[in-house]
Amino acid sequence: METIFVLLPLALLIAAISVGFFIWAARTGQFDDLETPAVRILFDDEEPRGARPALDPAASPRRVQR
Amino acid sequence: MSPAVAHRQPAPAAAPAACAHCGLAVPVSLVRQGDEHQFCCSGCRQVYTLVREWGFDQYYRLVDQQAGTPEPARVSGRSFDDFDDPLVQEASTVPLGPDRRHTRLYLEGVHCAACVWLVEKLPAVLAGVDEVRLNYGSAVAEVTWRPAHTRLSTIGRALDRLGYTPHVHQAARLQDARRSEDRAGLARLGVAAACAMNLMFMSGALYAGEYSGMATNYETFFRWFSLAVAVPVLTFSAKPFFQTAIAGLRAGIIHIDLPIAIALAIASIASAWNVVAGHGPLWFDSLAMLTAALLGARQLQRSAQRAALERADSLRGVAFLEFARRLDGDGPDAGVIEVPLAALAPGDRVEIRSGELVPVDGVVLAGQSSLDNAVLTGESVPLPVGEGDAVNAGATNLGARLVVRVDAAGVHTRVGALLAIVQEALSRRPALLQTTDVLARRFVKVLLVAAVATLAIAWIQRGPEVALTRVVALLVVSCPCALGLAVPLAMSVALMRAARAGIFVKNPDALERLRVVHTVLLDKTGTLTEGRATVARWLGDDTALQFARALEAQSSHRVARAFQSASGRSLHVVRSVEGVVEAPGRGIIGRVDGHEVRVGTREHVAAADTAFADDAAAMVTAGLSPVFVAVDGRTSGVAGIGDALRADSRATVAALVARGIRVRILSGDHPDVVTRTGAELGLAAGDALGGLTPEAKRDVVADLVAHREGPGAVVMVGDGVNDAAALALADVGIAVHGGMGATVVAADIVLTRDGVRPLVDILDGARRLRGVMRRNITFSLLYNVAASSLALAGLVGPLLAAVLMPVSSLTVVLSSALTRTFARSGARAAARAAVTVEA
Repeated sequence: METIFVLLPLALLIAAISVGFFIWAARTGQFDDLETPAVRILFDDEEPRGARPALDPAASPRRVQR
Repeated sequence: MSPAVAHRQPAPAAAPAACAHCGLAVPVSLVRQGDEHQFCCSGCRQVYTLVREWGFDQYYRLVDQQAGTPEPARVSGRSFDDFDDPLVQEASTVPLGPDRRHTRLYLEGVHCAACVWLVEKLPAVLAGVDEVRLNYGSAVAEVTWRPAHTRLSTIGRALDRLGYTPHVHQAARLQDARRSEDRAGLARLGVAAACAMNLMFMSGALYAGEYSGMATNYETFFRWFSLAVAVPVLTFSAKPFFQTAIAGLRAGIIHIDLPIAIALAIASIASAWNVVAGHGPLWFDSLAMLTAALLGARQLQRSAQRAALERADSLRGVAFLEFARRLDGDGPDAGVIEVPLAALAPGDRVEIRSGELVPVDGVVLAGQSSLDNAVLTGESVPLPVGEGDAVNAGATNLGARLVVRVDAAGVHTRVGALLAIVQEALSRRPALLQTTDVLARRFVKVLLVAAVATLAIAWIQRGPEVALTRVVALLVVSCPCALGLAVPLAMSVALMRAARAGIFVKNPDALERLRVVHTVLLDKTGTLTEGRATVARWLGDDTALQFARALEAQSSHRVARAFQSASGRSLHVVRSVEGVVEAPGRGIIGRVDGHEVRVGTREHVAAADTAFADDAAAMVTAGLSPVFVAVDGRTSGVAGIGDALRADSRATVAALVARGIRVRILSGDHPDVVTRTGAELGLAAGDALGGLTPEAKRDVVADLVAHREGPGAVVMVGDGVNDAAALALADVGIAVHGGMGATVVAADIVLTRDGVRPLVDILDGARRLRGVMRRNITFSLLYNVAASSLALAGLVGPLLAAVLMPVSSLTVVLSSALTRTFARSGARAAARAAVTVEA
């Protein structure tokens, strides 16, 4: 039973570390938005097709056909 | 073009086509024969072209998967020059290191998950944009960008051209403050919960030891470790309870936190003393559990409230006057630059295009147009303006381009003065004494009496040590934990349900005030009515209405827009519209499917024909403008154009009256029009007040609040700036249809659903919420009486307390969670969107 004198502080230490991680996660804003990440995970990454277009949409003349 | 991308079938020539961008039906007049893709509006066409050009075809596949509500794209075509102004950026931008900035923009038009994907792809095409993160719920995009490589106006234009008109976020600081409060609360809750669980394990060992025997060295070890684990709970997690209790005492208020703080403090001191002394009961597990439960409930309430506030902030982010187009230079080649309002000086000239808001008070220098003043004054009929006429900021330009000389901008305008009144009214508003605080005051008195009695009786009978133990047991077990949970839990559930139904409660006090309602004051234009010209009545052939609609689709006149929103019963599909000629001031002529169709005044359509003359006269009496439709030279129908009542206005007013609520109309429109609307809704002439200035509306509300005619709240419902001061002064202010900047600031509750039907839902929800609260409070008081009696009799030890307290809390939690406060019925459109999101 004497092992409890080691195990209990050890268990509390592990708990303290996880609580520390939780506080870090909360402080860095990882729980701020609980809605968007659920949506974001649905996107598969695909590279945009075709050539890299103009960098400034305003710099190029209107290319919209009317 | 790969077949996978052309997901929407190119339309066969005759059948109604679906827009290649948003999927809505394409108006017949916009169908282009032979084109592979059809579009419902120029906005969708522009966005579609750009999305394809930038290689973001995947967007359309995502849209198809998401099945969100379709929404046509709107492109404002602004230059966003004003975004580059340091003053504008200050409100929403923080520097990140020397060469990066972080800006918050509210985006209009975010409607489904695919929007998140599209907006976040922006860094792939814009150099200098490092990252974009879009919050789907609040539609706020956080953009990280490098000023050395790009400008904020460039980012703004790119977002605009994708169909998401950006607005500088006005309340970024406020949001930050709320957010950091939320984060701190979460950290406190985490610590309390983790410690409570570990304490329970240790206490479990100690309780078991009491029954089966335990070696002293183990017991001492567990007791000291319990003390060590309890320290962070009491010094870190429970700090807010002590802080509010002390702050309340200093201000002479007994807050619900005071009895909680007393229980925590005395029980923890007694337990710590017993640890040091080596004997006596420990209450640490109960204390930690209680702290965790209370913090959890408050965290839930805070996050529900934050969601509602952020949504309201976003709507306010669309500051309704943001920028002006200033003319620089003279002559026809004068440059136009978009500047923030603060950069305008009297004497500057600004340009106001069709459909835009007038940004300043001033005088028209050039142009002829008509202005819609509904938001400012409540007038439903547009006002014609020409050279030399004065215009006010906040009006909408319905006609052609105007050039206006600036007399005043910003706070010096009439709207600015109105907003100052709103601020003043909000600052004078008394805070509501919370139900729990009223109860807390009585509770503290009873508790103190009970504690003194216990101490005295037990001291005489058993001596000081037993007496002190019993007092501590009494304090712990009767700590108003359930009472502290009862209100926040019921409230947070109600707030979340309401938000799902499109009702955003900014101020939870409002729900408590709505328990009993005496008077509901309704604005007319835009609240009870559509706030724009529509075909309010149609008499005649439905096919003729379809013809008129197709013909008017070619025009941008006010009457033409009214026809566009008309819904005919005819299934006739118009195939061709040709030879359209507009006769200014009279009407429009064209050939629709081979028939000659004329729409306009009687003289314009068929001078000799007298059909529908009586109907037209009746329409004039009802306050509508008759517009005739003739097909092939014969008058086939007459449309009454006017500001029609919303579809649900009549039923809503009837439902309010049926509940014994006095309903009155406060409007800035002409008294005759208001009386007529009142009569249509079944209200007495004395209850339909017209011709009121914003100040007069405010005074009517202030008078009703000061000299109450009976018990119950005075509720003001409105949508315009002219209602804002009245909204702020009423017991409960409700802004309808998303409202505009000022009303969102002034109101307690913001509705984003169309129509006034949600008013009834709010009243029902508030009533049900009150029922839940009453049930929760009754239960927690009963529990307290029972538990205190046991403690007085000396029957409560730490083990019983540890069992009793979570059971009572759990009952309150279940009671709150299982009651439907705000039902989803009647909110089908909004609810369906919400369900899609959840799914």
